[in-house]
Amino acid sequence: MSTFTIPVGPLHVALEEPMYFRFDVQGETVANVDIHAGHVHRGIEYLVTKRNIFQNIVLTERICSLCSNSHPQAYAMAVEQIAGLTVPPRAEYLRVIADEIKRVASNLFNVSVLAHLVGFESLFMHVMEIREMMQDVKESVFGNRMDIGANIIGGVRYDITPENAEYLKAQLDKVEPAIAEVTKIYRTNGSILGRTRGIGVLSREDAINCSVVGPVARASGIEYDVRLKAPYSAYPNLQVPVHTLKDGDVWSRAMIRLAEAATAIGIIRQCLVQLPDGPTACTSERPAIPPGEAIAKCEAPRGELIYYVRITDSPRPERVKWRVPSFMNWDALRFMLKDAKIADIAIIVNSIDPCISCTER
Amino acid sequence: MSKLFEGLEAPLNEAAPAGIQYTRRTDAKGVGSAWARLASKDDLLRAATLLKQRGARVSTITILQPKAPPAPPPKEGETPVVPTFFGGVPNDGKSFEINYHFDVDGDTLTVVVYVPFGGEVASLTPLYRAADWPEREMMELYSIVVSNHPDPRRLFIDPAIDGAVLERLIPFSALVNSATTKGLWEKILAQTGSNA
Repeated sequence: MSTFTIPVGPLHVALEEPMYFRFDVQGETVANVDIHAGHVHRGIEYLVTKRNIFQNIVLTERICSLCSNSHPQAYAMAVEQIAGLTVPPRAEYLRVIADEIKRVASNLFNVSVLAHLVGFESLFMHVMEIREMMQDVKESVFGNRMDIGANIIGGVRYDITPENAEYLKAQLDKVEPAIAEVTKIYRTNGSILGRTRGIGVLSREDAINCSVVGPVARASGIEYDVRLKAPYSAYPNLQVPVHTLKDGDVWSRAMIRLAEAATAIGIIRQCLVQLPDGPTACTSERPAIPPGEAIAKCEAPRGELIYYVRITDSPRPERVKWRVPSFMNWDALRFMLKDAKIADIAIIVNSIDPCISCTER
Repeated sequence: MSKLFEGLEAPLNEAAPAGIQYTRRTDAKGVGSAWARLASKDDLLRAATLLKQRGARVSTITILQPKAPPAPPPKEGETPVVPTFFGGVPNDGKSFEINYHFDVDGDTLTVVVYVPFGGEVASLTPLYRAADWPEREMMELYSIVVSNHPDPRRLFIDPAIDGAVLERLIPFSALVNSATTKGLWEKILAQTGSNA
């Protein structure tokens, strides 16, 4: 059978952002894939060195909208380490709440797109409707739907009033059963199972080899979650269950995301119960940041996000480097797409929950 | 702090015969970070092999050109002394510092090597598949050569653009092909031959 090459992307209906794939296919089967990136490379690592330490909180939040809260959080954690700042307990809980609200919305977005790619449009719209309740939460609590501006160096910019807490609990009471309901559909529906079970398999061995992170790793049986392996903020005080599955297929990755969305709601509830009184930032003024270097990690919705910050005696950082979870997960597509059917390409690519703006910066 | 992280200094010292500078710290939540600065970049692969045996993975690679420290004016008749990094690579503002960040079960060990301007460093890809993209990115951002890289093509930046972009000032209007207000306006004026 002759081999021919088909392009997918850079603009493709199934991908939210531009990425160009060249597939060598034999008949209906993928033989090889080559990934060409760079369509949304904006040189943000360069721009970060041209702004001062505090301005970068705003800039890092704009690297990507889906994990927009994780970037300034990890950046702030690294700077706080350099400056020896202790984030007040209330701010640590508020950071977790912001993080988990984003996680619920982000994970639901990905599983809804899966339903769309399967052709199950009513489920797609239903899951987007559930996500919309979390969007309402973000808009009501933070004043914005995507870039929520929760973090500052030394704490958080927002607070939760008793009234807000009641509203948040009421929204969670609606979202939680809705997630349980759709999880059941994803677990049992024939259309979903037929297109996702045994598709795009990443074995545990290949997952370790590619160093994948987040739900992609946990769906292949790797029990690694930054919230437990390198605890930060208020996570050491909270019950954070880690979900893993063994099969490493598209379905497993979707189920992990649904489970983590449900767990995130539990974590937000724990935070609301435990939320201590006190200040939301360690100082009301801009803290002095001495020279130094530090590394900080957090568990973004897509997995481990790592920041390295180097500060000299200039008000601008000498270097800020970050590696997003998607950056590691692209390579695994070569394994997932091996011998896949052309019709499954979009479903498999979506299953790593790719974040291209994050990857290319 | 991870148990794997314990007792790394002595074996790292053995793996890097030219010498290492080792520092470590633990944050308030018990998460460890350590730095191992290698005196010679030639010890990199041996150190990386040891970490691989200990179950580490490459998280990412940070490369930078640290600014040279201000040097006192040389005395008459003496040649100016160029400060050096650990291991003797000149700290002249052009040399590269490469930080390989390894994750050791949640903790981070950063192996640092210094490479003079225009120098070469060994690829970690034979040991760590995950080093592929970070090394490709490092090559397009800086004029550094990674030897034995299996796929040294550009990662994000178009091949038509000269390499080492972080070492050069590129006007934003050129970067985005004049798709920005002032640059675009001037381009239109030049093309229409009118002067505003």
